[in-house]
Amino acid sequence: MFYRLSGIHHTRYESARQLWPIPMDRWQIYVLLALGLAAPLLFSGLYLTSYLLPWLIMSAAALSLTLLMGIAGQLHFGFAAVMAIGAYSSIHLVRAGVPFELALLGAGAIAAVIGSVFGAAALRVKGLYLVMATLAMQYLVDWTIINVPAISGGAQATLQTPAVRFLFMPLASDVSRYYLALGWVVLVTLLILNIKRTSLGRALVAVRDKDFAAAVIGVDTVKYKLLAFFTSSFLGGVTGAVLAFCYYRAVTPEQFTFNVSIQLVAMVLVGGLGSVLGAYLGAGFVLLVPIVLTNVVAFLAGAGWLSVSTNLLAHIPLMVYGALIIGFLLFEPLGLAKIYDNIRNYFLVWPFRHSRS
Amino acid sequence: MLPKVQPLAASGDQAVLHPHWQQDDHLIAILADNARRFPDRVALRERDRGIWQEYSWQDYLEQVLSFAAGLEQLGIQPEDNLLVIGDNRPALYFGMLGAIALRAVPSPAYPDTVPEELAGQLKRESIRYALAEDLEQVDKLLQIREQYPELGTIIYDDPRGLAGKEPPGVIAYTDVVARGRERLARESGLREDLLRRATAHDVAVLLHSSGTTGTPKGIPLKHGHILAAVRSAAEAGYFEEGEVHMAYLPMAWVGDFIFSVGAALVLRFTVNIPEGQETAFHDLREIAPTLFFCSPRAWSNMLTRIQVGMDESTGLKRWLYRYFMPFAIELERRRLEGQAPTAGERLKRAIGEILIYGPIKDHLGLARVRHPYTAGEAIGEDVFLFFRALGLNLRQFYGQTENCALAAAQSADEIKLHTVGRPFPGLEVKIADNGEILMRGENVFDGYYQHPEATAETLRDGWLHTGDAGYMEDDGQLVVLGRVSEVVHTAGGERYIPTYIENRLKFSHYIKDACILGSGRDYLAAIVCIDLQAVGHWAQENGVPYTSYADLSQRPEVIGLIAGVIERTNTVLPEAQRIRRFVNLHKEFDPDDGEVTRTRKLRRNVIDEHYKAIIDAIYAGADEIEFEAQITYETGESGVLKRTLAIRDLAVEEA
Repeated sequence: MFYRLSGIHHTRYESARQLWPIPMDRWQIYVLLALGLAAPLLFSGLYLTSYLLPWLIMSAAALSLTLLMGIAGQLHFGFAAVMAIGAYSSIHLVRAGVPFELALLGAGAIAAVIGSVFGAAALRVKGLYLVMATLAMQYLVDWTIINVPAISGGAQATLQTPAVRFLFMPLASDVSRYYLALGWVVLVTLLILNIKRTSLGRALVAVRDKDFAAAVIGVDTVKYKLLAFFTSSFLGGVTGAVLAFCYYRAVTPEQFTFNVSIQLVAMVLVGGLGSVLGAYLGAGFVLLVPIVLTNVVAFLAGAGWLSVSTNLLAHIPLMVYGALIIGFLLFEPLGLAKIYDNIRNYFLVWPFRHSRS
Repeated sequence: MLPKVQPLAASGDQAVLHPHWQQDDHLIAILADNARRFPDRVALRERDRGIWQEYSWQDYLEQVLSFAAGLEQLGIQPEDNLLVIGDNRPALYFGMLGAIALRAVPSPAYPDTVPEELAGQLKRESIRYALAEDLEQVDKLLQIREQYPELGTIIYDDPRGLAGKEPPGVIAYTDVVARGRERLARESGLREDLLRRATAHDVAVLLHSSGTTGTPKGIPLKHGHILAAVRSAAEAGYFEEGEVHMAYLPMAWVGDFIFSVGAALVLRFTVNIPEGQETAFHDLREIAPTLFFCSPRAWSNMLTRIQVGMDESTGLKRWLYRYFMPFAIELERRRLEGQAPTAGERLKRAIGEILIYGPIKDHLGLARVRHPYTAGEAIGEDVFLFFRALGLNLRQFYGQTENCALAAAQSADEIKLHTVGRPFPGLEVKIADNGEILMRGENVFDGYYQHPEATAETLRDGWLHTGDAGYMEDDGQLVVLGRVSEVVHTAGGERYIPTYIENRLKFSHYIKDACILGSGRDYLAAIVCIDLQAVGHWAQENGVPYTSYADLSQRPEVIGLIAGVIERTNTVLPEAQRIRRFVNLHKEFDPDDGEVTRTRKLRRNVIDEHYKAIIDAIYAGADEIEFEAQITYETGESGVLKRTLAIRDLAVEEA
């Protein structure tokens, strides 16, 4: 109904392989981008900083993780640790006088190196064993940060982020921090979208589907597994730094615990493994749905429609949230992105059921 | 009688024949003019391995001239014929125009022509040069060359399986072009010379009659004919400048030369060539042309595809389709009858356009079509109305190869289903005493290729005898009935063509077969065989009980249904040709009984003999007849069955 495909033809392969050849898809992107850019005008400061901003940053984190888990097929249950490395590295670099722009890159590089070291385990182990190896990373990094005062500033310390400028603009207001986060997530999105259609992306997918089969057809699995860990950890490290500077503005080890790693994995799974759109939807679901549910339940209880004990009241949102995750995964195991895809297909072939060839 | 029938006579005589033609008004001059005025505009696109390769008018002219220069070096002479065989390819179009620039004549053949037929064409037209699409066609030509060594040079387009190991006398299109390009660079003045050689009186293309009766006749069309036809059609608004056109119909068909070469040059179309025959409809959607032609059968297939697709679609979509589509069809039917839709209906139509009509057109690749056409045979009312209801201004046109396929077409705002519209401006049409349609005009050819007898028969005093029977309606619209050879007379001398009326009846899916009676009688009557599936389904929906075909056919409700169908058909027939009485037969016409051929053509003498009693009863004015039917069982035994058949009178209101 909304999609019009006739008249779309290409005179070069480059244009045939563009990201969004269908005008309707392009329009959707334009609208979303415009909304993202106009958000500071549209939403109050509270919504901007406590909903939109963390959503965007966590989307970037989920995108980084989906590159590793969804595209390259390497499980990672310690991604919060990678982000912690990035966050702490950036603060220490800025404190040491490094410009913020370089500090972000440095944070990414340090996270990438440490992440790749642990990722090297993936060369030997797969599946659950890889989960264990990455869990070990989570706990090792947590322990190191807490117990090395040079990093954490002491066992219970909180490190304030220094005032910084990004490309000569002081990162002082909520709006400037929002735009930095938006810029970063757009950059990561474009990167992942393009990785998916390059030889790197195809090699990673080959490794995901069967690593020894990929090796047989000439894909260097050692190289690509390490590359996946390196790239993903780099992006995760920078995202951690952006999270620290734009959202928390102070870091403590509690911000990057195992719980956060599990949340990130949940975002990727609920959104849809390997899907760019899924990373956004998953992050939105995991971050925002509990808040919405809490508000709804509180409203119902306030209006007197839900007379239960306060203790149970606090747990109802969690129960519904859990049920929703299970429900979505039962209904569509391929995630929220697949649900979007089904809806898009429904309209793409309208008024028929299948596309006619 | 026309004395000058030889198409390749000296141009001095030709100027007398067509005094209005400008000597230098020819296809090559128009091509050069396009290349000069619109060098970068896209003239031709070909889908090659998924993407569209574009040729600008500049490239087009360059290819044509280079090929012409190369071809001349191979020794082709003016008035030589060049066989062109294969699916639509840019190289073949360039090749045809290259030959035309040298005053040689392209003679296209259908790609699936069998070697024997092709050999016949080569010998009749003493063809020494061929331009073939691919290995398959080259192989065919090489096989022919064993008996016909005159075929010296074969030029191929698709190098697959040929490049590097060409048999003697076989050369690549690209090589010819490269040689020509070299010559053009070397010989100054050659380019201008090539542009000036052709004249309006030269034969531009040698097409062929279908050859269903005897060997195919060559039909030479001159530049002047083609230009006159295209210009008069454009003047009447049948195509506009800059149309996007899909060249997917065979190059040997007159329509392709007229649309993809003639009109494309004059009106600067963008001609799009699909990757192959199989991908034509897919590629169509990628291009979304503005001008689209296909045969009634192809439109009908398209309708079937939509209906099947909708039947298996999901609930909401199907519901919307079944809500909006019949509405649009009804609206279109009323619009053709001259009723304007109300504001509410227009609003509903607009909503339907967004929900159903637009998306369906988009799927078919017809979203941008402004000029959809059909021709060749009569199109079914259902099909015609369906596509018009979608918002496509589908129109029929009429023509033969002999008049460049453009003789008459329905105009945009006056559509009558049973007519083919008004003749194009500049074309005189009259009806001969025997009912034959005669035409005279600048687009009517000058005679068959080396066939004076046939020419003398077809062209008399400049009037083309089409062989089609028809009549003019009072408002000047032409009705084509069928071939003159099929005309039958009633006792009152009224001419009619039974198959024409029968086909109209069979447009209704309730009627499987019909036989029109009336030869030597006072009025027309019909024997109708209902379609068991369609009528049975109708009976189920309307709660009409029945046991068998014979029982169903004699139900009063069913007789009423068929009477309605015939009465609707009667409204488009001249008064004397309306069906006054009919009978529903108790069985279908059966090839085993010899009543129809295996291809379901009626054998009238057998029917007259088998059902003599019924026919006599009809004309005796009886209301029913007890008929003893001879039937042949599948075991070969025969038996007798007694049936009472009702005969119905039809009200024929005075026109």
